[in-house]
Amino acid sequence: MFKALIACRAGVGSSLMLKIKAEQVIKEENFPIEVEHASLDAVSGFTGDLLITLTDVKDELESIGINKPIIGIASITNKEEIKTKLSSFIEAHSK
Amino acid sequence: MLSKLIGNNAIQLNVEAYNWEEAIYKAAKPLLESNKVTERYVEKVVQIAKETGPYIVIAKHIALPHAPSEYGALESSLSITVLNQSVEFGNQANDPVKYLFFLSATDSTSHLSALANLVELMEDETFLSLLDTSNNSSEILDYIKNMETN
Repeated sequence: MFKALIACRAGVGSSLMLKIKAEQVIKEENFPIEVEHASLDAVSGFTGDLLITLTDVKDELESIGINKPIIGIASITNKEEIKTKLSSFIEAHSK
Repeated sequence: MLSKLIGNNAIQLNVEAYNWEEAIYKAAKPLLESNKVTERYVEKVVQIAKETGPYIVIAKHIALPHAPSEYGALESSLSITVLNQSVEFGNQANDPVKYLFFLSATDSTSHLSALANLVELMEDETFLSLLDTSNNSSEILDYIKNMETN
């Protein structure tokens, strides 16, 4: 099971909506991923496997040198995008 | 329940805005006037958007302006603003923005089911085209209430 953190800047809006959508996709596809959500402050202390956030936040996290796989979602309502990106993460990280 | 978060006069249709900043201020107005957020909260939303790019544009043509609770979210609340002409926010994937859902949340859990409803609405083509064509905000609210009970 992979542990994922869904983060946005405020931690009260977009990350929650992204979590709702990601959980729907994970359940439908039976992906081995557990998700929690938080604001960006929690990112540096996160010990799990994967960060999920919006595209522009991903760019920022990468620029400050976060050393973990980061998935950036462009559109929260695009389940196909979430599905494709999660499944390529799983493929790349499963032994 | 999402409909409970939407206060009086908080559904604004056919709104004119020349740029993203004006669009945010207009979307914030009903929440400011009903004391759901402070002016500082609105300033913070604009400031974050300026400093960190258009992260509030979260889906095609849809912006969710919001800031962390501590900047002056007095009550959890939502306004819906439909622009008569879309404006650019600088988000490559999802520009231009026509619909703004201005959100304030006092914590990160109590409005969770409302947010789930909101995500559902954002994917609902019928709802979005109703926003485009309707001149009657109570029609919009009725649609939302109806969706919640199903």
